[in-house]
Amino acid sequence: MVVLSAARWIRSRLTDRFWRKQEVLKYARHFRGRKNRCYKLAVRSVRRAFVKSTKARAEKKKFLRALWITRIGAASLEHGLKYPVFISNLVKSQVELNRKVLADLAIYEPKTFKSLAALAQRRRQEGFLAALGDGKEPEGIFSRIVRHHY
Amino acid sequence: MTGRGSPSRFLTAVLHNGVGRYVRQLQRLQFLFSPTAADARGARQFVEEAAQDFARQHPDVVLYVSPGSGTAPLVRAEYLNGTVREELIASKTSEEIVQLVTKLANQSGLDIIRIRKPFHTDNPSVQGQWHPLTNKPSILTVQGPRLQPQ
Repeated sequence: MVVLSAARWIRSRLTDRFWRKQEVLKYARHFRGRKNRCYKLAVRSVRRAFVKSTKARAEKKKFLRALWITRIGAASLEHGLKYPVFISNLVKSQVELNRKVLADLAIYEPKTFKSLAALAQRRRQEGFLAALGDGKEPEGIFSRIVRHHY
Repeated sequence: MTGRGSPSRFLTAVLHNGVGRYVRQLQRLQFLFSPTAADARGARQFVEEAAQDFARQHPDVVLYVSPGSGTAPLVRAEYLNGTVREELIASKTSEEIVQLVTKLANQSGLDIIRIRKPFHTDNPSVQGQWHPLTNKPSILTVQGPRLQPQ
């Protein structure tokens, strides 16, 4: 006997519930407590983790810049300069190194950093001479501005 | 998609490939498609027209063409470090398959996950990495019988 309506008696069943839950749980495996095992708790924690990771991208930039500034300040203090003096005189000498590179130089190339500190110190002295001097001394060498025509 | 929730790696080349000679990391490409299916039309056109040119341009990659598969058309790329990567080529034109296959040929077999830093070096310091005695007077580091109190 051919029963054509047999196919209609079978309801479709959800068969991949396990893998749908694994998609969420795989991001929770390093969490603490039951939220690394139980789906209901993990869903909330994973969503919060994603939101925090999105918001942290802007904070990471702030945090790293603060870290570089701390390191450059510490390194320049070893050479007798404070951070604002160092940075302002480097900028006035048209040395356009950013804080990331300066921090890496301070760690991995200490002699280069020492020469940069000496450059900033000399530019500072030239600035004082230009401001307080009589105008009879020649202009400082490091105070010259190089204009690039691009 | 968090930093610790998903895997990540550092930027490397397989066995410092490229420092000396360059060895192509793609070992073989297997094209599995059916000779009659409609979505394998691009794959068939590729095999007829562009596969020979591709094979001539990349002499160190072995191409295996096996028509007769009953499943969806795909290209399987095996790399020298054992990674196997399968890409579906269903309903793709011959040009798109050429682009895909060129991309696979230029990849190394390393995992496609987040790369922590876009740079890597084995020798980060040329002048010697900073340590607490770098910028101190050298009298503190010199040891030996020549150092007598005057």
